Amino acid sequence: MIVDSHQAPAHDNTGKPPVTVLDPTRAPDGHVAGIQAKRRKPYGQMATGTLIVAIAALFIWSQAANENLDWSSVGEFMFHPVIFKGIAVTLELSVFSMLISVVLAFGVALMCQSQNRLAAVVGRLYVWFFRGVPLLVQILIWFNLAVLYPKILGTDTNQLISGFTAGLCALSLAESGYMAEIIRGGILSVSKGQTDAGLSIGLTRGQALRRIVLPQTIRVIIPPTGNQFIGLLKASSLVSAIGGSDLLTQTQLIYGQNFKIVPLLIVATAWYLVLVSVASIGQYFLEQKFSPDGAAARRSFRELIRRNVLLRNHSDLPRKAVQP
Amino acid sequence: MTLAPAQAPLMVIDDVHKWLGKNHILRGVNMTVAPGEIVCVLGPSGSGKSTLLRCINGLEAVESGTVEVGGDLVGYKIHKGQLFEHTERESAKMRRRIGMVFQHFNLFTHMTASENVSYGPRRVLGLSKAEANEQGLEALRKVGLKDKAGSYPAQLSGGQQQRVAIARSLAMKPQVMLFDEPTSALDPELVGDVLQVMKRVAEEGMTMVVVTHEIGFAREVADRVIFMDEGRVIESGPAAQVLDNPSHERTANFLRHVR
Ligand SMILES: Nc1ncnc2c1ncn2[C@@H]1O[C@H](COP(=O)(O)OP(=O)(O)OP(=O)(O)O)[C@@H](O)[C@H]1O
Ligand SMILES: [Mg+2]
Repeated sequence: MIVDSHQAPAHDNTGKPPVTVLDPTRAPDGHVAGIQAKRRKPYGQMATGTLIVAIAALFIWSQAANENLDWSSVGEFMFHPVIFKGIAVTLELSVFSMLISVVLAFGVALMCQSQNRLAAVVGRLYVWFFRGVPLLVQILIWFNLAVLYPKILGTDTNQLISGFTAGLCALSLAESGYMAEIIRGGILSVSKGQTDAGLSIGLTRGQALRRIVLPQTIRVIIPPTGNQFIGLLKASSLVSAIGGSDLLTQTQLIYGQNFKIVPLLIVATAWYLVLVSVASIGQYFLEQKFSPDGAAARRSFRELIRRNVLLRNHSDLPRKAVQP
Repeated sequence: MTLAPAQAPLMVIDDVHKWLGKNHILRGVNMTVAPGEIVCVLGPSGSGKSTLLRCINGLEAVESGTVEVGGDLVGYKIHKGQLFEHTERESAKMRRRIGMVFQHFNLFTHMTASENVSYGPRRVLGLSKAEANEQGLEALRKVGLKDKAGSYPAQLSGGQQQRVAIARSLAMKPQVMLFDEPTSALDPELVGDVLQVMKRVAEEGMTMVVVTHEIGFAREVADRVIFMDEGRVIESGPAAQVLDNPSHERTANFLRHVR
């Protein structure tokens, strides 16, 4: 029974003992320093958990028992050489376009930050264009470049631009727009005092930027770059629209012949998840390596699993008593 | 404590004007500093003290007037009687002769203390790795932080960071060192250590221009105290005279407030 502290329940005529006035400084759940309290049973959470498990079981059952799913075909094509060739191309596309885009993006970010107004405007326009046009449209434009320029440097454009090169160009340029913004953000995150200090020991502006500011941006740039790479792995599947011989293209190639569409899409799904998972693990270690306290070595693999796979946070750790 | 010795001045600031945006920040600053002289600059917030220091080492270009250090103009060169703006490389070369210590230390956060202090000697002065390390360590020893050589700035207290920053400047063996409120971002109990180090640097004969609100330090160490207000030097003289017997009402007013 909670009694407003304004009332003075010294006596009441029901004969029950007087009710203690709750200390208004205490939290209503009774979690105050040093107080041992029984935790409420998380009935809500238990109910939700049961429901989720039930739905998941139903779903898995419906898949596993589904005749149309044809698990034996999934197994048959999971490690098929054609699929492996697709995986190789997907990896090449993602890794190369990431590398190219980072180089381009550094240039563009420096242009955006330049004292030269024209360079800054050109940099901004670049970002605006390559971030603004949908990736699929960019891929189609590159693939159809021959219509614009039938010959490039004396070579037949169609010979020069295969599905792969068109995809590589489009992915690199589109990605560089995003990366330029990430790098620019990194540069802005370094205080102006760092440049001043660099200049004051006799560096030129360029040297101060390259040797003092840029190294300090890495820590800020790495985490979003990991995200971008994962995005790129998935976005590379868009080159299947122009037969870029990536994982999805190869998958389609096979099911175009045997019509086992769903099993092959499951194969592709599984491989994309594998690639993305590997990339996530890589990202995690890079992040740790560049974390400000240099704690890389101390964080264990278990921590990684705990955080990324089990998706747990610290809220379920014992509550620390708060000193009043 | 001597008055300015009768020598050729190391630094001459002649009628310097500086605009930042539409603001006329420096409105004709004149001052000379003799070799080995310690000059403390006082003045209310916004009077242009930081801007003056930044103009002296060329972090900011002046709009009119000249700054001369060690016989060379800052930011310009004279060729056949004609004034030419320095190239980026020439400006940088000039800046290495002029050390600067900032209010917020500005240590390179991605380098250890020893890397901070040996970076300039190695990359700017072009010493060998061993020589640069030696010169850096020597500077760290001078500020009493040799045992912190391997620490990153984030692992140092504010006072220690500022002492490393002083060492970074010293390691370049500059002709003159500029200090912009070197202790005003520090907890009171850390101020003493930094002032102590600055005193030692002064005793070794370094020419110093120190913007500070530490009246005690000015009284004890400065050969000359300058009072700035609204972009001008309105009073300049021996520490005792300016601090105890200011001739200008605004100086007196300011001193009443900081004391
Ligand atoms: N980038 C800028 N653009 C326009 N005005 C500026 C800029 N930077 C500084 N100012 C102005 O210049 C004036 C002088 O600034 P400065 O930092 O030199 O003063 P200060 O004497 O060092 O003051 P404090 O004691 O607060 O450090 C101030 O009024 C400030 O508002
Ligand atoms: Mg200032």
